[in-house]
Amino acid sequence: MKIAGWIGAATALVLLLFVPLHINGYWLNLLYQTVLYVGLAYGFNIISGYAGYFSFGQIAFFGIGAYTTGALVLATHWDWTICALIGGVLCGVLAVPIGAVMLRLRGPFFAIGMLGLAQTARVLASSSSALGGGSGMYLPPGSSLLPVYYWTLAVAGGAFAITWWIDHSAFGLRLQAIREDEAIAATLGVSTTRAKVSAFIISAIIPGLLGGGYAWFLTYIEPTSAFSARVDLQSIVMTILGGIGTLWGPLVGAVLMTQVSEALWANFPQAYLMIFGGLLVVLLIVLPRGIVPAIATRMQKRTTPSAGGGMVMGSAQPGPERT
Amino acid sequence: MDTVVQLIVNGLLLGGVLALSALGFNIIFGVMRVVNLAHGDLVVIAALTCAMAYAHWHINPLLLLPFTALGGFVIGACIQRFLLRRLPAEIASGEASSLTLTFGLSYFLAGLGLWIFGGQIRSVPYLTGAIQLGAISIPQARLLAFVAAIVIAGLLGVFLRYTSIGRAIRATSMNLDGALACGVDADLVRTVSFGLGSAVAAAAGTLLSYVYTFNPQDGIPFTISAFAVIAIGGLGSYTGALLGALVLGFAQAFASYYAGSTLADAAPYVLFVLVMLVLPQGLLGRRAS
Repeated sequence: MKIAGWIGAATALVLLLFVPLHINGYWLNLLYQTVLYVGLAYGFNIISGYAGYFSFGQIAFFGIGAYTTGALVLATHWDWTICALIGGVLCGVLAVPIGAVMLRLRGPFFAIGMLGLAQTARVLASSSSALGGGSGMYLPPGSSLLPVYYWTLAVAGGAFAITWWIDHSAFGLRLQAIREDEAIAATLGVSTTRAKVSAFIISAIIPGLLGGGYAWFLTYIEPTSAFSARVDLQSIVMTILGGIGTLWGPLVGAVLMTQVSEALWANFPQAYLMIFGGLLVVLLIVLPRGIVPAIATRMQKRTTPSAGGGMVMGSAQPGPERT
Repeated sequence: MDTVVQLIVNGLLLGGVLALSALGFNIIFGVMRVVNLAHGDLVVIAALTCAMAYAHWHINPLLLLPFTALGGFVIGACIQRFLLRRLPAEIASGEASSLTLTFGLSYFLAGLGLWIFGGQIRSVPYLTGAIQLGAISIPQARLLAFVAAIVIAGLLGVFLRYTSIGRAIRATSMNLDGALACGVDADLVRTVSFGLGSAVAAAAGTLLSYVYTFNPQDGIPFTISAFAVIAIGGLGSYTGALLGALVLGFAQAFASYYAGSTLADAAPYVLFVLVMLVLPQGLLGRRAS
């Protein structure tokens, strides 16, 4: 079983690395979008799924990464990967004070605080003349998508690896303890602020790095696409569809939905927000735990009839108790 | 000196309407502990409906108020009855799923608005004049919105104080178990509260249609300002909401004069974060359990 898993992972990696060299623009674009959303979904999942702090504003870091990359490329003419890396680091640095302040707020307060942060960042970007204001910035055109794809693949792979580590580490258990009951976690000796802020920093760096690649891919940045409500909503819906707070959920959700959502966005941009918003509502009622936990519960039931998952949304995937 | 008086007048007039919008948000939060992220979208849809009706048939938005409020009530009651109530039982206790549901609803309503009204900015060019009092000028539209907001807030207060369903709503928001023990039909109370909160949001949107310009994707700022108002005033406190609205109204009026309108848009957010950090219970808040 374990060997089969490793073989599967190696095959997937080889395919993801070499197939893009031989496919045309349309499929490469779709593959890029899929990998991008896998990364974004993992970014959202760490702070919201594992630590239980629902953030509707991670797109702020995506936008900051995009703008940093754009401004640096125009100002310095450095290679875009260096600029995107700086953008990601900047997001991580910014996440320290923002996280220290925001994570003192709980539940809906934190969610609204982050929503407001993204809104404020967008307003600031559109009013700043140095960043091109509402009309944005143009980057040098004519670049190939392939390097952006590999960059995004590396970030998404890293996001998966970090989530795997969180899922198997004491740090992950600390986050989950905070999610279940923060006060009890604190009395058991978990340094809650430290754990929460660390999770928040990771959840900020991932979209920051992805935003840089996105800016280079679009060759044009403006407030609405950099701080895109659509991208934010889509990564949240994908995470919840796959199973929030699980290792595999964001991957499954993003892979299943990217093609559908891109087709919807291309063909029905007017109805897009309505359909995705409605989908999120229906999903919460019909399949609140997401696909991955639902399948895991079913498999567990088949092997041990008495076992069953009584998991809540945002709960860990079923498995042996790790206490 | 005149400038300061003028800004105080502006802040007061704005505060009245902000207070009304926040009252709707507060009823829903008080009874159900649900933060309704679709609140601002209801405000915007009501305002756009009025702008549309004015553009086509020159109907005064004030005449439409009963209908938009009724529409808001029906939408709100349906949201509670058919969506929130269906959240799986073990999940309904958690804030995260109701929050995420209203987040999805917010985009649904924004998309619906985009589909119906299109993406352009709309407004109601009605009562554009101003009353001059010495050096102070009072825009008629804002004055009318302010007076109507105060009247509606007063009616709401009477309803909550003297009718039996109003008493049941207050009892439920004070103590759910106590209300259940006294035979309050919690399901009915929740549906009525969500309907009432949404009706007030729609009424606020109708009044704001005179004052601002709207586009279907403007909902989130109104949600944030309503949340800021009751967070400043203290969640669940009605007098606190009025006070919070005045604070926010003044802050926005002064910020737009001294720092420009862009920063004034960020004022509710900045104020909300500051108050949350310094006074987590708000100015007049009771302890949230």
